Amino acid sequence: MIVFEQVIKKYNNQDKAAVDNLDLHIQKGEICMLVGPSGCGKTTTMKMINKLIKATSGKIYIDGMDIDQVDPINLRLDIGYVIQDTGLFPHMTIADNIATVPKEKGWSRNKIRNRVDELLELMDLDPEIYRDKKPKDLSGGQKQRVGVARALAADPPVMLMDEPFGALDPITRGKLQDEFLRIQEKIGKTIVFVTHDIDEALKMGDKIVVMRDGRVVQFGSPNEILSNPADEFVSELIGGNSNLKMMNLMKCKDIMRLIPNVDSRESSKAALKIANEHDVKNLLVTDHGQKLLGYVSYGSLASNDTVVSNLIKEIGETVTPKTTLQDVLSKMFSLGKKTVFVSGTKGTVEGIVTMDDLLKAVKDDEQISESDI
Amino acid sequence: MMSRSQNQIFRLKDIALIVLIFAIGIGFSVYVVNFPQDKIVERFMSYEKIIRSILQHLSIVVISSMLAIATSVPLGLILTRPKYKKFAKTVLGVVNIGQTIPSLAIVALFVGLLGIGTRTAILALWIYSLLPILNNTLVGILSVEPSIIEAAKGMGMLPKRILFKIEIPLAMPIIIAGIRTAVTINIGTAIFAAFVGGGGLGDLIISGNNVNRWQILVLGASLPALMALLSDIIFGAIERKTTI
Repeated sequence: MIVFEQVIKKYNNQDKAAVDNLDLHIQKGEICMLVGPSGCGKTTTMKMINKLIKATSGKIYIDGMDIDQVDPINLRLDIGYVIQDTGLFPHMTIADNIATVPKEKGWSRNKIRNRVDELLELMDLDPEIYRDKKPKDLSGGQKQRVGVARALAADPPVMLMDEPFGALDPITRGKLQDEFLRIQEKIGKTIVFVTHDIDEALKMGDKIVVMRDGRVVQFGSPNEILSNPADEFVSELIGGNSNLKMMNLMKCKDIMRLIPNVDSRESSKAALKIANEHDVKNLLVTDHGQKLLGYVSYGSLASNDTVVSNLIKEIGETVTPKTTLQDVLSKMFSLGKKTVFVSGTKGTVEGIVTMDDLLKAVKDDEQISESDI
Repeated sequence: MMSRSQNQIFRLKDIALIVLIFAIGIGFSVYVVNFPQDKIVERFMSYEKIIRSILQHLSIVVISSMLAIATSVPLGLILTRPKYKKFAKTVLGVVNIGQTIPSLAIVALFVGLLGIGTRTAILALWIYSLLPILNNTLVGILSVEPSIIEAAKGMGMLPKRILFKIEIPLAMPIIIAGIRTAVTINIGTAIFAAFVGGGGLGDLIISGNNVNRWQILVLGASLPALMALLSDIIFGAIERKTTI
């Protein structure tokens, strides 16, 4: 989708190139995170895509089209742009702000109004309340939501985001990151996202470009970066706790195991048989194969010869398939249990995650780096 | 309640002041015309003369201020364009020096060039009110958050549209403040028009001085002061209205 070919950017008064011989392929529908310390050339790289900065040499293609051949105004109208300070126009209403690009493109009033409302709803902002407000009436998080909505207004295939959540407090930032990932699942834009926060890069990115002194140090998926950092610099950037960070990338649904049901009227022996057949340590107990009553553990089944209904334990707090492994671990700690059930929709239980599963999940990924040593 | 007071241009306080200003101005004029100090004042003062002086004064101020706005604002806008930005400081410096010359000297200087008359007064005032407007136009445009301009540019807005849709509206309160200063100064300085035969309320001051009658003198001095106050209130309100 976006291709850099030997792109160099030199500023007039400097010997060293800000971006030095950059080759990069960004796939369609991916979030590509440009990460690195300030002055590493990440913002320059991003701004060359919409020609806010002109490359000194080299070629940049979007969708196979050489951007040198495109008028900058037309190019930019088809690229969403979000910046850290939001850059909202303070004298315009939220609706007018969001309508900026559609207005430049000459959409009809009706089409613009519908699109604005649609985007406000997508951003979880009630159009009735927020449409006519001014940016100064909004909180930082709401402003940045509007900033994202404005960039999405004309449905551009490509979005450039320059530390969009950088100025927000950690809680709001986390929330907006989650929201944005959720929205991206629906809209599937090709996104170039600049950040200096490696954790944000790991969380948001499909691909990560680690940059330093205008060069790409490493390009890969978050998993590859974490499990196989290219050099000292990347490891340092990742910092400690790479195992924990890896757990942050994986979701419950990746490792959870399904557990069989047993009817509450069955004997414990019959239940043990089911457990052995499936090689599991816990069984869900249902009432006539329907209502979920709780679970029984292998231990209690083996040591008591009775009906299953006497051994039922409460399921307690659950996690969801989308919970990260790190959150699962912290749930286990807070509950003081080695197993956590994964709930599905409408009070069902989809599976189970145990401490062993967590260890194995992290270790599997570790093996790559261990074999290097 | 809040939204209503925001929609109105004048606050209650402003309206009260405007009424008071008119009351004092009209009241004092009526007093001077109907209760003259003596025969001399009676012969000198009439409603017709007062109104004529006020209108002359106003036209000098309005024409010179309009000319100043018509030159300073576009000049300021041009000087903030990337191409001409490097000249901004020089131009501002030159105009700044112009401002340090006493207003009376400028008026006198123009007599030398253009002879006496209203035209001379208007041109002198025009030159004199260029600076505050030019200065504020530059400051207003340059104080627009760079991130706002960058966002507009990055989204593909044309430079012309950025200027008219973003920069000018955002700079407007500061530009208006410059116009407010210029007009207020002009109302006071327009008194000097009388010295070059340009008429206006300065005529009353000169007459009052010549015949040594305080009523005429004070009326000639107080009416421009009231006008200056009035314009200050009006432009203050516009300034507030354009502030986000």
